Amino acid sequence: MTPERWQQISRIFKSAILLDNEARAAYVASQCGRDDSLRVEVEKLIDSHGKADADEFMHGVAAEAAAPLLTDDEARPDLLNKGQQFGSYIILDSLGSGGMGEVYLARDTRLDRTVALKALSPDISQDKRRMQRFRQEAKVVSSLNQPNILTVFEFGEVDGLNFLATEFIDGETLRDHLHNKRLKLSEIVDISIQVLAALDAAHEARIVHRDIKPENVMLRWRDGVVKVLDFGLAKLTEQKYSTLGHDSDPEAITEFRTAPGTIMGTINYMSPEQAQGGEIDERTDIWSTGVIMYEMVTGKMPFRGSTTSHTIVQILEKHPVPLTKLVKAPMELERIVMKAIAKKPRERYQAAKDMLADLRSVQKRLEMEAEFEQTSPLITPDEPGLAAKKKRVLVFAVVGMLLVTAAIFAVNIWRSSRSAINPSITTPAPVERTLTYWITVQKFKDNNPYQDPFTLAGEINFEAGYRIRVNVRSPQQGYLYILNEGPASGAPEYNIVFPTPSANKGSSLLQAGQIVQIPEKSWLRFDAQQGVEKLWLVFSENALPELDSLKQFASVQTGGLITDPLRNKAIKDYLDTQISKPEVEKGESLTTVKAAGQLLVYAIKLEHH
Amino acid sequence: MAQKPPEHEITQLLAQWREGNQSALDDLYPLVYDELHRLARRYMSRERKGHTLQTTALINEAYVRLVDQKNVPWANRSHFFAISAQIMRRILIDHARRHQYAKRGGGARQVSLDEAATVVLPDQSGELLRLDEALKSLAEMDPRRSQVVELRYFGGLNNEEIAGVLRISENTVTRDWNMARAWLYQQLTGSGAN
Repeated sequence: MTPERWQQISRIFKSAILLDNEARAAYVASQCGRDDSLRVEVEKLIDSHGKADADEFMHGVAAEAAAPLLTDDEARPDLLNKGQQFGSYIILDSLGSGGMGEVYLARDTRLDRTVALKALSPDISQDKRRMQRFRQEAKVVSSLNQPNILTVFEFGEVDGLNFLATEFIDGETLRDHLHNKRLKLSEIVDISIQVLAALDAAHEARIVHRDIKPENVMLRWRDGVVKVLDFGLAKLTEQKYSTLGHDSDPEAITEFRTAPGTIMGTINYMSPEQAQGGEIDERTDIWSTGVIMYEMVTGKMPFRGSTTSHTIVQILEKHPVPLTKLVKAPMELERIVMKAIAKKPRERYQAAKDMLADLRSVQKRLEMEAEFEQTSPLITPDEPGLAAKKKRVLVFAVVGMLLVTAAIFAVNIWRSSRSAINPSITTPAPVERTLTYWITVQKFKDNNPYQDPFTLAGEINFEAGYRIRVNVRSPQQGYLYILNEGPASGAPEYNIVFPTPSANKGSSLLQAGQIVQIPEKSWLRFDAQQGVEKLWLVFSENALPELDSLKQFASVQTGGLITDPLRNKAIKDYLDTQISKPEVEKGESLTTVKAAGQLLVYAIKLEHH
Repeated sequence: MAQKPPEHEITQLLAQWREGNQSALDDLYPLVYDELHRLARRYMSRERKGHTLQTTALINEAYVRLVDQKNVPWANRSHFFAISAQIMRRILIDHARRHQYAKRGGGARQVSLDEAATVVLPDQSGELLRLDEALKSLAEMDPRRSQVVELRYFGGLNNEEIAGVLRISENTVTRDWNMARAWLYQQLTGSGAN
């Protein structure tokens, strides 16, 4: 159809649909004259208009209609199917799936060889520039021809699906290899040496792996040759912008995008700088190799908390028990591993080469002592039982499902609340309301977060450029309302900051022990003017309908500002009459406010200059 | 791990784009795409199955996160919504395409005309892809009407907002929508004249 024809049809259509049936037929006929095909097209379109209405066609928005597509986690389809022809490959079998996509055993019909074909999920291969960079790196790494680096044959695209064809290794991952068994020292050293040899070659070419973990290390059945997989692939899935505690929500930090329903490996091998969203270089790979070695030797991951956030705290703070305290191992090996997992990159091995050299001398010694090593048990009697190990695998899987980043953020909350939990669990007096709060501060410079966020028990005189969040928690269940009152020069104006449709799902009901963070997704900023902002906390045993109704004003555009002067006056009167005389106790990490009765009304004063 | 692009970078890109610099859009696209995709994922995982995804809430959130709002005139905001609608479209189409890959090889299922006629809600990946194709054809004949559809159906904007973004009257938006929708219906159900 030509645009002219289209315009002609549309001109008649738009008037015709406003008319009733009879008038419409006459109108269309008069407009179309002797042009029968025009009349037919207009009539068809009018007919479709009616049917579309009746069928509620495109009634909602696409995302609603497509919701099942986006949420269909369990039924996540395979990208390719057995027996399918895919370009010049025939898919033979599925080998598994991961965050990046799915891996298949395939036959390359051109060269008649078997390959591992990794189909990258469409959503991770979206960013052309990143794909390009990954492609380049894959090429470079592969061209190194290092025997411990998995060879990439082809990087291609068929029907818009990006894939990577690599040599197929008939073997198992180090993760599977470690499952339920402990390795001999000589084997541990041998595997580590091969991993480091791969890293050394890649690092020489200025390529950092970024995701060294047992899942990415393959052992070939035939000869025990180690192959390191997925160089540079981790980069593809990293969020391009990620900063600890940045504006908005926690998940922005180092998020690893996983296809729905997949379990993203793990954070347990992540270096401190990686966990903090810092700059990453070769020394991150050294760290991860050290962590793997520690695990191989002791059977325990050095950094493993019950939740992702606990794990991250451990990565940042914990000094693992030295190897020789857990198992019988050479002191030299302990020294090597501990050096590899030094918290500060500059205290680690600076190059894979150096670590490799040290390990080779251990290897030599072990060879000499081979007989002894083979006959003496490596493990001390306190080895964890099988049941414990199984459980750990489960915990591990659950932890993996969480987004890494949410966790890093949660560390802050956890850090600041861990000392809070015990005191506040104590039974409150019968009729009394208790709230605790603490403040997270993020410095900003040129609109960028600057340094790590930190928490305060209470108010300080805030500097311009500081942005804050207030965290509130109570050991009691109750209804919470939070209003912000700006520096008053005339009649005060209030912003409703809690509840909002996005915070706490629009509900004012706070569960016992629940932590709310105000604002949930961004930071409170101070304007340049000096003044005192008040954050009114109203915590009641019963719902307060007059405050509940303020929810309607909560919106991102207005920041929840209530402009109606009468309403503001009513709020002011309410707060003035209801204000409690609470007992305020400033602790080291949080402030506790207690008031007798069923209602607590308290203003946090945020002074800034 | 790079830093998050500063808010003002996105703000500037929006401004440049508004001034007609098309390459600014290329730079903007991946940034916004990532953000929306991430948020969409999170929203969807938060909601139970069958719950609806609040598209505008999502775009609003992305906007708040990405743009330094102190320095943004309203027009930029409109542009942001326009680009977000485009990106939402792409996200959904990507997902639909993914589902289509799955169907292939496992006995590809052709949607017959009869069947299509009964499945008018594009609630399946195939339907969504066909809608996308039809919308592309529409854009060739009538870019504005296809944009109205994009903003409303993919961006979740209401008529008033669309009118603001496209700088046309609300009445025109309504008329454009009626026409475009009737035509798309025709295309999808195979009852079209062409």
